[in-house]
Amino acid sequence: MKSLLEINNLSGGYYKQRVIKNISCKIEKGDFVGIIGPNGSGKTTLLRLLSRSLAPEEGSVMLEDKDISRMGLKEFCRKAAFVPQDTLINFSFTVAEIVLMGRIPHLERLQPEGKYDIEIAKNAMAMTDTAYLKEKNINELSSGERQRVIIAKALTQDPTLLFLDEPTSHLDIGHQIQILDLLKKLNRDNGLTIIMVLHDLNMASEYCNRVLLLNNGEIFKEGTPQEVLTYQNIETVYKTIVVVNKNPINSKPYVILVSREK
Amino acid sequence: MRKILLISCVFVLGLFSFAHAKARYISLAPSTTEILFALGLNEDVVGVSSYCDYPPEAKTKENVGDFSRPNIEKIIYLKPDYVFCTGLEQAPVISELKRLKINVYVSDPSNIDDLIKSINDIAKITSRDKEAKLLIADMQAKINSITAKINAIPLNKRPKVFIEIWHDPLTTAGKGSFIDELITVSGGRNIAFDTKRPYSIFSPEEVINRNPDCIILTYMEKEKPAKLMGERFGWGNVSAVKNDRVYADIDPNIIVRPGPRIAEGIEEIHKRLYK
Amino acid sequence: MKKKVIILIFLLLFAGALGIVIGSVKIPLKELFLEQNRSIVIMRILRVLTAAISGAGLAVAGIALQAILRNPLAEPYLLGTSSGAGLGAVIAITLGVSSLYMPAAAFIGAILSIILVYNLARNNNKVPEHSLILSGVIVSVALSAIIVFLISMSANEALHGMTWWLWGNIQVFNPKLILAVAILVTLGIAVIYIFCQDLNAISIGEEEATHLGINVERVKKIMIIMASLITAGLVCICGIIGFVGLIVPHMMRLVVGPNHKTLIPATCISAAIFMILCDIISRVIFPPLEIPIGVITAVLGAPTFIILLKRRQKIG
Repeated sequence: MKSLLEINNLSGGYYKQRVIKNISCKIEKGDFVGIIGPNGSGKTTLLRLLSRSLAPEEGSVMLEDKDISRMGLKEFCRKAAFVPQDTLINFSFTVAEIVLMGRIPHLERLQPEGKYDIEIAKNAMAMTDTAYLKEKNINELSSGERQRVIIAKALTQDPTLLFLDEPTSHLDIGHQIQILDLLKKLNRDNGLTIIMVLHDLNMASEYCNRVLLLNNGEIFKEGTPQEVLTYQNIETVYKTIVVVNKNPINSKPYVILVSREK
Repeated sequence: MRKILLISCVFVLGLFSFAHAKARYISLAPSTTEILFALGLNEDVVGVSSYCDYPPEAKTKENVGDFSRPNIEKIIYLKPDYVFCTGLEQAPVISELKRLKINVYVSDPSNIDDLIKSINDIAKITSRDKEAKLLIADMQAKINSITAKINAIPLNKRPKVFIEIWHDPLTTAGKGSFIDELITVSGGRNIAFDTKRPYSIFSPEEVINRNPDCIILTYMEKEKPAKLMGERFGWGNVSAVKNDRVYADIDPNIIVRPGPRIAEGIEEIHKRLYK
Repeated sequence: MKKKVIILIFLLLFAGALGIVIGSVKIPLKELFLEQNRSIVIMRILRVLTAAISGAGLAVAGIALQAILRNPLAEPYLLGTSSGAGLGAVIAITLGVSSLYMPAAAFIGAILSIILVYNLARNNNKVPEHSLILSGVIVSVALSAIIVFLISMSANEALHGMTWWLWGNIQVFNPKLILAVAILVTLGIAVIYIFCQDLNAISIGEEEATHLGINVERVKKIMIIMASLITAGLVCICGIIGFVGLIVPHMMRLVVGPNHKTLIPATCISAAIFMILCDIISRVIFPPLEIPIGVITAVLGAPTFIILLKRRQKIG
């Protein structure tokens, strides 16, 4: 079975600086991948290289066996969607209008949305529990509601692959769990492949089936959460002392921070 | 025989009334308005610009807009036989009027000879040659009398004059302007004789340097003009200011407008130059 | 929504009719169609058309620039068009070119200044918004200074008539010129409308738009070119008419929302109505004097916008 996403010797960065150095990895369909690492390790850069926001200096990214930099932009966006950290929108579009924009990759310039497009948008809003917000203005929502709407928009693109950049960093724990549970459901029930950058190691442990630990632009360790989240790995990369226990409920690794001050 | 006499009388009367049938003239500039009225055409003028204020009867005529933006709709509606104006800023309006097959006469004299030619042209168009002859003769007589008075005075003894058109920025009338010629004819020497444009901004320092004997303001000034000039930095020592020979009491319209009253203007200027 | 558009179209036709019937000269309705008044009626029809296309053109150009620069203060003259056009005209007059070629000279000046602004702001193949705005302002100021210099140096009295540039002029005498500019403006508006979806996406964010499959740099370039062509064409026949390109888009956003698919047509029609009404007012308020239209658009537009804004604030 060919992998969904193949990353081959990928190097890239900003202003010709190599932030990401020679990364190779295979992502299978149905994976829920968490990209973790200290600040400056290149997590967001890697995500942008994978989602075509940034062009690589060297190497390639193959989606379903096609080089993404050679694909048409719209064709790529029909398969891959991106959810940024937070989107501040200054215009008073309604939630329905925002979500429907997810269909743009599938429509011709002046083509109006058809019944099928509206169905997909409705489903996306049902899944993200945003249907009740349909007529509200996007700039009147709380950040939790707004994030769910943006996810609904991404889902409306009907993608096979979903990129997320720290999707819960601005949310309280209640909303964090809400979003991540939704992602887990989409991954498990709809087969949506997810690649997510996050800061919280325990979140990665809880939700991801694969973890990529980055350090200095390279993959330090990759594998299951149990394989990657060991105290040796974390201490080497993050340069801080931790204790790793087993989560009492699901036996996944649980990282406890240790302060050096008494 | 009687019949022929009757018919010829009617014919002559008809010609007579035709010759003096009311024409319809519009003037777009104060100077041409003054000329038309001076030629006795007050009844035939049907429209003037908002700035046309002399003679006072002109103000009773229909207003067709201001000097630089005459209102074409109004002009067309008044069905003029001829429109009189000055060139310059009215150019786009003029070309449009011509396109609408309305007769336009443009007069833009920059010296007295041109002005006289304009008056003659206008007289020809309006069949007022007799009146024009009288008007010009009158103007010429006044000018000639002044010329006679100053002929004997050598050029370097004639008073130096500075014309102040406006104060901020300091603007004067220089070489090639109408007022410049009036000054010369009145027996003065325009200190702004070497400007590149007829109306230009002049350096206040140059005024101090050239030390005019008289200063003439062509705008209304309520305060005592000499006092005001004295307050300008460095102007206290200018001859005109020191000797209180700053004049703001000539009606600017008789020296700024190239019209029938320039002879009067020359007389007024001469009076002040040769107190 | 359809209802609102139909109402707008009716208002447009009404305003147009009003503009033909009312003018600086009071002509009773039954006399309007007499042979002798034919030139006046034709003049008025041309005025109404010029007002309509200049209103629609400036407003839609404003929408396009506000969307791609994501700056609510963007307006059509931002890219240096007005001073470029003015400089082109002044140079032409100074060189003694016949006034027949004035509009062409102004147009060339406008286009050249936009090219200058664009290339100053360009960074490789990308045009960052803040660079574009900055270079537009700088070029405008520089060119205006050159214009003032040329006017002060020149011996040509005709330059004094340039004041009509500063506050706008709707009476264009050459119907062929009006037609040419009308075609240009219509094309520009049509192209901008075709990209309405792209503009929606770009309003949300450049990266977000890229993730929806939109080639943002290409859309930006096309919008800049279209907005510039529209503005250059209008400036060279009408001079500078402020306020319309900045405020009417905002007003219509308050009324029909930010979705460009409806915003653009609604703004087209309402800007046309607005300009026609302003033109009527400029002619009838102190006849036969004509107040420059830029004064009317400002005096009328500002309070209208404030009222709409206050009402929106009360609801929302």
